[in-house]
Amino acid sequence: MQITINRNGENYGPYSLEQVREMLDSGQAQPTDMGHVEGESEWVPLSEISKNLPEAGEKPPVIGSQDSDTYTPTGEHEHEFRIECKPDFSYLTVQVPANQTLKVEASAMATMSTNMVMKTKMKGGLSRFLGGESLFINEFSAQGGSAEIGIAPGSPGDMDHVHLSGADEIFLQSSAYVASGMQVNVDSKWQGFKGFFSGEGLFLLRCTGHGDLWFNTYGAMIEIPVDGNYVVDTSHVVAFTGGLQYNVESVGGLKSLFLSGEGLVCRFAGQGKVWIQTRHPMAFANWTYPFRPESNN
Amino acid sequence: MQSTIEGGPAFAYINIDLDPGETVIGESDAMSSMAADLDMEAKFNGGFFAGLAKAFLGGESLFVNHFTNNTSSTRRVTLVQSTPGNTRAVELNGQQLCLQPGAYIASTPGVQLGVQWAGFKSWFAREGLFKLTVTGTGTVWYGAYGGLLEKEVHGEYIVDTSHLVAYEPQMKLNIQLAGGLFSSLFGGEGFVTRVEGKGKIVVQTRSMSGLADWINPRLW
Amino acid sequence: MQINITHRPGNSAAKVSLEAGESITAEGGAMIAMSGHMQVETTTHKKDQGSILGAIKRLVTGESLFLNHFTPSGGPGEVYFGTALSGDMMEYNLNGPGIMVQGGSYVASSPSVDMDIQWQGFGKALFSGESMFLIRLSGQGPVILNSFGAVYPIQVNGEYIVDTGHIVAFEETLNYEVSKAGKSWLSSILGGEGLVCKFHGQGTVWCQSHNAGSFGASLGPNLKPR
Repeated sequence: MQITINRNGENYGPYSLEQVREMLDSGQAQPTDMGHVEGESEWVPLSEISKNLPEAGEKPPVIGSQDSDTYTPTGEHEHEFRIECKPDFSYLTVQVPANQTLKVEASAMATMSTNMVMKTKMKGGLSRFLGGESLFINEFSAQGGSAEIGIAPGSPGDMDHVHLSGADEIFLQSSAYVASGMQVNVDSKWQGFKGFFSGEGLFLLRCTGHGDLWFNTYGAMIEIPVDGNYVVDTSHVVAFTGGLQYNVESVGGLKSLFLSGEGLVCRFAGQGKVWIQTRHPMAFANWTYPFRPESNN
Repeated sequence: MQSTIEGGPAFAYINIDLDPGETVIGESDAMSSMAADLDMEAKFNGGFFAGLAKAFLGGESLFVNHFTNNTSSTRRVTLVQSTPGNTRAVELNGQQLCLQPGAYIASTPGVQLGVQWAGFKSWFAREGLFKLTVTGTGTVWYGAYGGLLEKEVHGEYIVDTSHLVAYEPQMKLNIQLAGGLFSSLFGGEGFVTRVEGKGKIVVQTRSMSGLADWINPRLW
Repeated sequence: MQINITHRPGNSAAKVSLEAGESITAEGGAMIAMSGHMQVETTTHKKDQGSILGAIKRLVTGESLFLNHFTPSGGPGEVYFGTALSGDMMEYNLNGPGIMVQGGSYVASSPSVDMDIQWQGFGKALFSGESMFLIRLSGQGPVILNSFGAVYPIQVNGEYIVDTGHIVAFEETLNYEVSKAGKSWLSSILGGEGLVCKFHGQGTVWCQSHNAGSFGASLGPNLKPR
């Protein structure tokens, strides 16, 4: 939406609705100034135009269950954002300031302002791509004003946010990556964890730098503070902090015990945090078999 | 008639208590459980040709079920959509609502279902060529895979086509490429819907095509 | 034994806390995580009883061939159970009448609960697409069941109809028959409901709101062909 402001016979702008609101809040514009919305025929006072912006937190009446589990950041964060529809179908909305860029997992964009411009980059390099592993990241830039983007991963489940501050290091399972700020370095060529995942086309990302990082889980998310020793089935590992020591081993004959049936576990030692997911994609893949169309040859 | 939506937002289901003489209409295979003495009758979705149009073009079944209470006390029927996710009820009082094909679950007899052409451009977007319109007086229940979020649009907004569930009829929809040609192909976004106007839209926070895209690389 | 079911109804997991010496029996492959000192015994049969026949019967119901018995040694311990498909979980305490459970809905139970497979007979299950076998659980103690969708109970006092794909479990005091959903066969097939289960008598039926088959059919066309 483009709004032109008229004051004392002079036209200013055009500005976006968010910008007009900011100007009203800061006193740069007065509610009595006249504004013209592109496409409308009349000039109306700015107070009328800004009235149409829904108040933060106000929700229109709805009959039916509320998707009410909304998370807004309380700790350190770079961008304004909220995560709604937790914990089953988590949805991330990020405000990107004017002329800034956000990195987002490919095909995860669900909604965006019209002044958001998208570019595609491929991460991981050709060898990874040929090996059946890949991570495509899109860059979304807010042009000419701030913009909003709504992000929905493909799998159902929960989502979390971490703020990296220079010295921090997070290791993330590649399919769990959702989005990050431009100063967060997402290293996909990290070879240090070969064999962590048993060939599902998954690999570990090493995230460092400064800014916001968002990731999702398949199923419910359980955050485990490690202080000593902990054992987790590798297919359930989503992310862990850099300070932990790890050791991947096969449990061989005991593999039938585990939900994933993989038999690969990771022993974490030291101090840090591990995020695990309660469900396992291969089980879902197996379940889909009878519903898949038959190929015709 | 009294109704409640339980189990949401992950597995929303609708409990409808019908008073004697009342009827509720549900899409094919929506019944989860019901009182044994309720009468259930399959009917063509509003007339033969209209029914055919809706089926092939609107993504709904040719038939709907009419659940009628011909007893002398209140009886319950429990209806549900085929996918997990959230469900909403909307009270219509003459106004119209546009739904993505497949979002319709049930309605009361005063609500009419119609199919409208959504435009040629929709064909590229993997979604149906048509949109379902509901109008009249009464209640309509709709839902989708994922959570449901309502958004006010002031001017224009872009929505990935598989995430748009419902919108008010005065909104104009147009299809455009998500980015440049390379981005649109490799960025996985492809075509998106540009919504123009002033009104409300409802967005689903997951999609069946997104779920399929996520699991397909893991299928052998 | 303490059972704590979290993340209902979307992605439920069950956390079972056991005292030293206490045991829980679970179907093979349900465990997500467990305390380091948990002893696990994998068998094809109920703890302390022998019979491979029971295991074969279990396969037919859609459950795993194996049963795992978890017992913490030297102190209390805990074990987390999950399921392959998303959904709800419920805990039920058996104390008197047994319950009949749909194949695939069994997760775990205390060793004091007896498990038996029951053939439902041709008339009951033909065309329903569901397993012709139900698991009968009886005795005393807690059982954990899972479902696709949210679990809701129906108190039957006379008659009630449940679509066959929506049954999780029911008290064995109820009788049931498989019949057509509508007034006529035409109505039943065209209306997409097909066959339904009509329960008679007094007792509880636990239903699941959603139907895995319908979900699979909706997703199917988008999937890679096999």
